[in-house]
Amino acid sequence: MAPPDWEALYRDNIVSIYKLMYSKVGNQPDAEDLTSQVFLGALPHLRPGSSTGEVHRYLLATARTVLADHWRRTLGLQVTTLDDEVAAAAEQPAEAGEEPASQRVRRVRRVLAALPANYRTILELRFLSGCSLRDAAARMGISVGNAKVLQYRALRRAAELGREAGT
Amino acid sequence: MSRRIRRVGRYVDALLRDRRPPRAAVDPDDLEALAAAIELSSARPQAGMPDPRFVERLEGRLREHTDGDFPVHRRVTRRGLLQAGGLAAAAAAAGVVVDRAAVDHGSNPAADELAVNGGEWHPVVAADALPVGRAMRFSTGKVEGVVVNRGGGRVPRAVGGVHPPGLHPAAQPAAGRLDCPCHSAAFGFTGEVLHHQQPQPLRPLPRIPIRVRDGHVEVHVV
Repeated sequence: MAPPDWEALYRDNIVSIYKLMYSKVGNQPDAEDLTSQVFLGALPHLRPGSSTGEVHRYLLATARTVLADHWRRTLGLQVTTLDDEVAAAAEQPAEAGEEPASQRVRRVRRVLAALPANYRTILELRFLSGCSLRDAAARMGISVGNAKVLQYRALRRAAELGREAGT
Repeated sequence: MSRRIRRVGRYVDALLRDRRPPRAAVDPDDLEALAAAIELSSARPQAGMPDPRFVERLEGRLREHTDGDFPVHRRVTRRGLLQAGGLAAAAAAAGVVVDRAAVDHGSNPAADELAVNGGEWHPVVAADALPVGRAMRFSTGKVEGVVVNRGGGRVPRAVGGVHPPGLHPAAQPAAGRLDCPCHSAAFGFTGEVLHHQQPQPLRPLPRIPIRVRDGHVEVHVV
Protein backbone atom coordinates (compact mmCIF):
# COMPACT_ATOMS: atom_id res chain seq x y z
CA MET A 1 0.00 0.00 0.00
CA ALA A 2 1.26 3.47 -0.83
CA PRO A 3 2.81 5.42 2.05
CA PRO A 4 0.77 8.31 3.37
CA ASP A 5 1.26 11.67 1.68
CA TRP A 6 2.42 13.43 4.83
CA GLU A 7 2.85 16.79 3.19
CA ALA A 8 -0.69 16.84 1.81
CA LEU A 9 -2.04 15.64 5.14
CA TYR A 10 -0.15 18.37 6.94
CA ARG A 11 -1.10 21.15 4.54
CA ASP A 12 -4.73 20.14 4.60
CA ASN A 13 -4.99 20.27 8.37
CA ILE A 14 -2.38 22.57 9.89
CA VAL A 15 -4.43 25.76 9.56
CA SER A 16 -7.69 24.33 10.86
CA ILE A 17 -6.03 22.54 13.82
CA TYR A 18 -4.02 25.63 14.75
CA LYS A 19 -7.07 27.88 14.54
CA LEU A 20 -9.06 25.47 16.64
CA MET A 21 -6.35 25.42 19.29
CA TYR A 22 -6.00 29.19 19.20
CA SER A 23 -9.73 29.57 19.65
CA LYS A 24 -9.55 27.39 22.78
CA VAL A 25 -6.50 28.99 24.43
CA GLY A 26 -6.48 32.50 22.94
CA ASN A 27 -2.70 32.90 22.70
CA GLN A 28 0.03 32.00 20.25
CA PRO A 29 2.59 30.13 22.42
CA ASP A 30 0.03 27.69 23.79
CA ALA A 31 -1.66 27.29 20.40
CA GLU A 32 1.68 26.39 18.80
CA ASP A 33 2.59 23.92 21.57
CA LEU A 34 -0.78 22.19 21.42
CA THR A 35 -0.85 22.06 17.63
CA SER A 36 2.59 20.45 17.67
CA GLN A 37 1.42 17.90 20.22
CA VAL A 38 -1.59 17.03 18.07
CA PHE A 39 0.42 16.36 14.91
CA LEU A 40 3.33 14.65 16.64
CA GLY A 41 0.92 12.49 18.60
CA ALA A 42 -1.41 11.62 15.77
CA LEU A 43 0.83 11.07 12.76
CA PRO A 44 2.49 7.81 13.87
CA HIS A 45 -0.97 6.28 14.26
CA LEU A 46 -2.47 7.29 10.94
CA ARG A 47 -2.92 4.39 8.56
CA PRO A 48 -1.82 4.54 4.94
CA GLY A 49 -4.80 5.07 2.68
CA SER A 50 -6.90 6.82 5.32
CA SER A 51 -9.49 9.13 3.86
CA THR A 52 -9.30 12.89 4.36
CA GLY A 53 -12.28 12.73 6.70
CA GLU A 54 -10.76 9.93 8.77
CA VAL A 55 -7.51 11.84 9.15
CA HIS A 56 -9.33 15.00 10.19
CA ARG A 57 -11.46 13.15 12.73
CA TYR A 58 -8.41 11.45 14.20
CA LEU A 59 -6.59 14.75 14.49
CA LEU A 60 -9.61 16.28 16.24
CA ALA A 61 -9.87 13.34 18.62
CA THR A 62 -6.19 13.82 19.44
CA ALA A 63 -6.81 17.56 19.85
CA ARG A 64 -9.49 16.87 22.42
CA THR A 65 -7.14 14.70 24.47
CA VAL A 66 -4.32 17.23 24.18
CA LEU A 67 -6.60 20.06 25.28
CA ALA A 68 -7.96 18.14 28.26
CA ASP A 69 -4.40 17.46 29.39
CA HIS A 70 -3.51 21.12 28.86
CA TRP A 71 -6.32 22.37 31.11
CA ARG A 72 -5.49 19.79 33.74
CA ARG A 73 -1.86 20.96 33.81
CA THR A 74 -2.44 24.71 33.58
CA LEU A 75 -5.60 25.28 35.59
CA GLY A 76 -5.53 22.21 37.77
CA LEU A 77 -9.07 21.35 36.78
CA GLN A 78 -10.97 18.83 34.76
CA VAL A 79 -12.33 21.25 32.20
CA THR A 80 -15.11 20.23 29.91
CA THR A 81 -16.70 23.60 29.20
CA LEU A 82 -13.71 24.76 27.19
CA ASP A 83 -13.52 21.95 24.68
CA ASP A 84 -17.08 21.56 23.45
CA GLU A 85 -16.16 23.10 20.14
CA VAL A 86 -13.67 20.33 19.46
CA ALA A 87 -16.48 17.84 19.55
CA ALA A 88 -18.61 20.09 17.36
CA ALA A 89 -15.80 20.48 14.86
CA ALA A 90 -15.38 16.71 14.68
CA GLU A 91 -18.88 16.46 13.31
CA GLN A 92 -18.03 18.73 10.40
CA PRO A 93 -16.08 17.96 7.25
CA ALA A 94 -12.50 19.20 7.10
CA GLU A 95 -13.26 21.80 4.46
CA ALA A 96 -15.78 23.44 6.80
CA GLY A 97 -13.03 24.22 9.30
CA GLU A 98 -13.41 27.97 8.87
CA GLU A 99 -17.05 27.99 9.91
CA PRO A 100 -16.59 27.92 13.73
CA ALA A 101 -14.46 31.09 13.57
CA SER A 102 -17.13 33.12 11.79
CA GLN A 103 -19.74 31.72 14.16
CA ARG A 104 -17.56 32.76 17.06
CA VAL A 105 -17.26 36.33 15.78
CA ARG A 106 -21.03 36.57 15.39
CA ARG A 107 -21.52 35.14 18.87
CA VAL A 108 -19.07 37.64 20.35
CA ARG A 109 -20.85 40.50 18.61
CA ARG A 110 -24.21 39.30 19.94
CA VAL A 111 -22.91 38.99 23.49
CA LEU A 112 -21.24 42.41 23.39
CA ALA A 113 -24.43 43.98 22.07
CA ALA A 114 -26.43 42.47 24.93
CA LEU A 115 -24.12 43.72 27.68
CA PRO A 116 -24.81 46.86 29.73
CA ALA A 117 -23.03 49.84 28.19
CA ASN A 118 -20.16 50.10 30.69
CA TYR A 119 -19.47 46.34 30.51
CA ARG A 120 -19.51 46.47 26.70
CA THR A 121 -17.20 49.48 26.61
CA ILE A 122 -14.53 47.98 28.86
CA LEU A 123 -14.46 44.74 26.86
CA GLU A 124 -14.38 46.55 23.52
CA LEU A 125 -11.58 48.81 24.69
CA ARG A 126 -9.55 45.91 26.02
CA PHE A 127 -10.18 43.16 23.46
CA LEU A 128 -11.09 44.94 20.24
CA SER A 129 -9.03 48.10 20.57
CA GLY A 130 -6.14 46.55 22.48
CA CYS A 131 -6.08 49.28 25.13
CA SER A 132 -4.14 48.68 28.32
CA LEU A 133 -6.17 48.67 31.50
CA ARG A 134 -4.75 52.09 32.29
CA ASP A 135 -5.71 53.52 28.89
CA ALA A 136 -9.16 51.95 29.08
CA ALA A 137 -9.68 53.41 32.55
CA ALA A 138 -8.59 56.85 31.35
CA ARG A 139 -10.95 56.73 28.39
CA MET A 140 -13.83 55.72 30.64
CA GLY A 141 -12.97 58.27 33.31
CA ILE A 142 -12.59 55.68 36.07
CA SER A 143 -9.70 54.46 38.20
CA VAL A 144 -7.54 51.53 37.16
CA GLY A 145 -8.85 49.57 40.12
CA ASN A 146 -12.43 50.16 39.08
CA ALA A 147 -11.58 49.22 35.49
CA LYS A 148 -10.15 45.92 36.72
CA VAL A 149 -13.31 45.14 38.68
CA LEU A 150 -15.47 46.25 35.76
CA GLN A 151 -13.54 43.99 33.39
CA TYR A 152 -13.98 41.05 35.76
CA ARG A 153 -17.71 41.61 36.14
CA ALA A 154 -18.13 42.19 32.42
CA LEU A 155 -16.44 38.87 31.61
CA ARG A 156 -18.62 37.03 34.10
CA ARG A 157 -21.74 38.65 32.66
CA ALA A 158 -20.58 37.87 29.11
CA ALA A 159 -20.13 34.25 30.15
CA GLU A 160 -23.65 34.19 31.59
CA LEU A 161 -25.08 35.65 28.40
CA GLY A 162 -23.20 33.11 26.34
CA ARG A 163 -24.58 30.31 28.48
CA GLU A 164 -28.12 31.68 28.32
CA ALA A 165 -27.83 31.80 24.53
CA GLY A 166 -26.95 28.12 24.58
CA THR A 167 -23.39 28.55 23.41
CA MET B 1 -12.83 38.31 45.73
CA SER B 2 -9.95 40.72 45.04
CA ARG B 3 -7.57 37.80 44.55
CA ARG B 4 -9.93 36.30 41.98
CA ILE B 5 -10.17 39.64 40.17
CA ARG B 6 -6.38 39.91 40.06
CA ARG B 7 -6.00 36.37 38.73
CA VAL B 8 -8.51 36.91 35.98
CA GLY B 9 -6.89 40.28 35.24
CA ARG B 10 -3.45 38.70 34.86
CA TYR B 11 -4.91 36.03 32.62
CA VAL B 12 -6.53 38.69 30.40
CA ASP B 13 -3.31 40.73 30.28
CA ALA B 14 -1.41 37.70 29.00
CA LEU B 15 -4.03 36.92 26.37
CA LEU B 16 -4.01 40.48 25.08
CA ARG B 17 -0.22 40.35 24.73
CA ASP B 18 -0.56 37.01 22.92
CA ARG B 19 1.50 35.42 25.67
CA ARG B 20 1.11 32.27 27.71
CA PRO B 21 -1.20 32.97 30.68
CA PRO B 22 0.12 32.25 34.18
CA ARG B 23 -0.27 28.68 35.39
CA ALA B 24 -2.32 28.93 38.55
CA ALA B 25 -5.27 27.26 40.13
CA VAL B 26 -8.44 29.11 39.20
CA ASP B 27 -11.63 29.34 41.17
CA PRO B 28 -14.12 27.09 39.36
CA ASP B 29 -16.63 29.95 39.45
CA ASP B 30 -14.27 32.01 37.30
CA LEU B 31 -13.75 29.36 34.66
CA GLU B 32 -16.49 30.68 32.43
CA ALA B 33 -15.09 34.21 32.72
CA LEU B 34 -11.76 32.89 31.46
CA ALA B 35 -13.56 31.09 28.63
CA ALA B 36 -15.27 34.37 27.73
CA ALA B 37 -11.90 36.13 27.75
CA ILE B 38 -10.41 33.46 25.50
CA GLU B 39 -13.31 33.75 23.09
CA LEU B 40 -13.00 37.53 22.95
CA SER B 41 -9.26 37.23 22.50
CA SER B 42 -9.54 34.75 19.66
CA ALA B 43 -12.13 36.94 17.92
CA ARG B 44 -9.72 39.87 17.74
CA PRO B 45 -8.70 41.16 14.34
CA GLN B 46 -5.91 39.07 12.83
CA ALA B 47 -5.91 36.57 15.69
CA GLY B 48 -5.68 32.87 15.10
CA MET B 49 -3.62 32.43 11.96
CA PRO B 50 -0.45 30.37 12.38
CA ASP B 51 2.92 32.03 11.94
CA PRO B 52 4.48 30.64 8.73
CA ARG B 53 7.75 30.14 10.62
CA PHE B 54 5.99 27.89 13.12
CA VAL B 55 4.38 25.93 10.28
CA GLU B 56 7.82 25.34 8.75
CA ARG B 57 9.38 24.39 12.10
CA LEU B 58 6.69 21.85 12.86
CA GLU B 59 6.94 20.48 9.34
CA GLY B 60 10.65 19.88 9.98
CA ARG B 61 9.94 18.05 13.23
CA LEU B 62 7.35 15.88 11.53
CA ARG B 63 9.82 15.04 8.79
CA GLU B 64 12.18 13.72 11.44
CA HIS B 65 9.38 11.64 12.95
CA THR B 66 8.47 10.12 9.59
CA ASP B 67 12.03 9.09 8.70
CA GLY B 68 12.34 11.80 6.11
CA ASP B 69 9.20 10.76 4.26
CA PHE B 70 7.86 14.28 4.45
CA PRO B 71 8.95 16.23 1.39
CA VAL B 72 9.00 20.00 1.35
CA HIS B 73 8.48 21.53 -2.04
CA ARG B 74 7.81 25.13 -1.31
CA ARG B 75 8.29 27.82 1.23
CA VAL B 76 5.39 28.58 3.54
CA THR B 77 3.96 32.06 3.18
CA ARG B 78 1.11 33.85 4.85
CA ARG B 79 -0.65 34.09 1.51
CA GLY B 80 -0.23 30.34 1.05
CA LEU B 81 -1.71 29.64 4.46
CA LEU B 82 -4.65 31.88 3.75
CA GLN B 83 -5.28 30.10 0.49
CA ALA B 84 -4.88 26.74 2.23
CA GLY B 85 -7.90 27.31 4.39
CA GLY B 86 -7.54 30.32 6.60
CA LEU B 87 -8.97 33.00 4.37
CA ALA B 88 -12.58 32.97 5.39
CA ALA B 89 -11.88 32.61 9.08
CA ALA B 90 -9.22 35.28 9.07
CA ALA B 91 -11.63 37.51 7.24
CA ALA B 92 -14.40 36.86 9.69
CA ALA B 93 -12.13 37.45 12.65
CA ALA B 94 -10.78 40.68 11.22
CA GLY B 95 -14.05 41.88 9.83
CA VAL B 96 -12.28 42.23 6.53
CA VAL B 97 -10.84 40.00 3.87
CA VAL B 98 -7.10 39.91 4.16
CA ASP B 99 -4.45 40.07 1.48
CA ARG B 100 -6.66 39.64 -1.52
CA ALA B 101 -5.47 41.01 -4.84
CA ALA B 102 -7.36 44.01 -6.07
CA VAL B 103 -9.45 43.36 -9.15
CA ASP B 104 -11.43 45.49 -11.49
CA HIS B 105 -14.65 43.68 -12.21
CA GLY B 106 -15.92 46.42 -14.42
CA SER B 107 -14.57 44.80 -17.55
CA ASN B 108 -14.94 41.17 -16.54
CA PRO B 109 -17.49 40.58 -13.81
CA ALA B 110 -16.84 36.84 -13.67
CA ALA B 111 -13.13 37.15 -13.05
CA ASP B 112 -11.52 36.28 -9.73
CA GLU B 113 -14.55 36.04 -7.47
CA LEU B 114 -13.75 36.27 -3.77
CA ALA B 115 -13.34 32.88 -2.15
CA VAL B 116 -15.10 33.82 1.06
CA ASN B 117 -18.48 33.12 2.52
CA GLY B 118 -20.69 36.07 3.30
CA GLY B 119 -19.69 39.69 3.35
CA GLU B 120 -20.64 42.38 0.91
CA TRP B 121 -19.21 45.13 -1.24
CA HIS B 122 -19.58 48.69 0.00
CA PRO B 123 -19.15 51.69 -2.32
CA VAL B 124 -16.91 54.19 -0.58
CA VAL B 125 -16.13 56.88 -3.16
CA ALA B 126 -16.69 57.73 -6.81
CA ALA B 127 -13.63 56.58 -8.75
CA ASP B 128 -13.13 59.97 -10.40
CA ALA B 129 -13.41 61.79 -7.06
CA LEU B 130 -10.12 60.39 -5.79
CA PRO B 131 -7.15 62.07 -7.49
CA VAL B 132 -3.93 60.18 -8.10
CA GLY B 133 -1.76 60.06 -4.99
CA ARG B 134 -4.60 61.06 -2.70
CA ALA B 135 -6.15 59.07 0.13
CA MET B 136 -9.62 59.21 1.62
CA ARG B 137 -10.98 57.86 4.83
CA PHE B 138 -14.00 55.55 4.77
CA SER B 139 -16.21 53.78 7.26
CA THR B 140 -18.57 50.90 6.54
CA GLY B 141 -19.85 50.74 10.10
CA LYS B 142 -17.79 47.60 10.71
CA VAL B 143 -14.47 48.65 9.28
CA GLU B 144 -12.55 51.90 9.35
CA GLY B 145 -9.87 52.51 6.77
CA VAL B 146 -8.44 54.53 3.97
CA VAL B 147 -8.55 54.05 0.24
CA VAL B 148 -5.56 55.29 -1.74
CA ASN B 149 -5.37 56.07 -5.44
CA ARG B 150 -1.96 54.74 -6.43
CA GLY B 151 -2.19 56.00 -10.00
CA GLY B 152 -0.47 54.38 -12.96
CA GLY B 153 -3.66 52.67 -14.05
CA ARG B 154 -3.63 50.48 -10.97
CA VAL B 155 -6.70 49.68 -8.90
CA PRO B 156 -6.76 51.69 -5.65
CA ARG B 157 -5.53 50.11 -2.43
CA ALA B 158 -7.47 49.97 0.83
CA VAL B 159 -6.21 49.21 4.33
CA GLY B 160 -8.06 49.34 7.61
CA GLY B 161 -9.35 47.44 10.56
CA VAL B 162 -12.08 47.01 13.11
CA HIS B 163 -12.76 49.60 15.77
CA PRO B 164 -15.68 49.90 18.15
CA PRO B 165 -18.10 52.76 17.70
CA GLY B 166 -16.74 56.06 18.90
CA LEU B 167 -13.13 55.03 18.49
CA HIS B 168 -12.66 55.74 14.83
CA PRO B 169 -9.10 56.13 13.70
CA ALA B 170 -8.36 59.41 12.01
CA ALA B 171 -6.94 59.53 8.54
CA GLN B 172 -4.40 62.26 7.88
CA PRO B 173 -4.16 62.16 4.09
CA ALA B 174 -1.82 65.10 3.86
CA ALA B 175 0.54 63.44 6.35
CA GLY B 176 0.23 60.08 4.60
CA ARG B 177 -0.90 58.20 7.66
CA LEU B 178 -3.82 56.72 9.59
CA ASP B 179 -3.78 57.65 13.29
CA CYS B 180 -5.23 55.40 15.95
CA PRO B 181 -5.60 57.41 19.18
CA CYS B 182 -6.49 54.37 21.28
CA HIS B 183 -3.25 52.61 20.38
CA SER B 184 -1.29 55.88 20.25
CA ALA B 185 -0.20 54.55 16.89
CA ALA B 186 0.02 55.61 13.27
CA PHE B 187 -0.12 53.41 10.17
CA GLY B 188 1.03 54.17 6.65
CA PHE B 189 -1.29 53.88 3.70
CA THR B 190 0.13 50.48 2.81
CA GLY B 191 -0.80 49.31 6.32
CA GLU B 192 2.72 49.43 7.80
CA VAL B 193 3.19 50.55 11.40
CA LEU B 194 4.83 53.98 11.43
CA HIS B 195 5.04 54.41 15.17
CA HIS B 196 3.22 53.41 18.35
CA GLN B 197 3.51 53.51 22.12
CA GLN B 198 2.34 49.99 22.89
CA PRO B 199 4.45 47.64 24.99
CA GLN B 200 4.05 44.86 22.43
CA PRO B 201 4.67 45.06 18.67
CA LEU B 202 1.68 46.00 16.56
CA ARG B 203 0.83 44.15 13.40
CA PRO B 204 0.38 46.01 10.14
CA LEU B 205 -3.17 46.82 9.12
CA PRO B 206 -4.61 44.24 6.76
CA ARG B 207 -5.39 45.14 3.20
CA ILE B 208 -9.02 45.14 2.27
CA PRO B 209 -10.28 43.72 -1.03
CA ILE B 210 -11.20 46.50 -3.37
CA ARG B 211 -12.65 46.83 -6.83
CA VAL B 212 -13.96 49.48 -9.16
CA ARG B 213 -17.45 48.91 -10.45
CA ASP B 214 -19.83 51.24 -12.21
CA GLY B 215 -17.54 54.16 -11.53
CA HIS B 216 -17.36 53.54 -7.79
CA VAL B 217 -14.56 52.22 -5.63
CA GLU B 218 -15.95 49.41 -3.47
CA VAL B 219 -14.44 47.57 -0.48
CA HIS B 220 -15.41 44.10 0.68
CA VAL B 221 -16.13 43.48 4.36
CA VAL B 222 -17.58 40.50 6.18
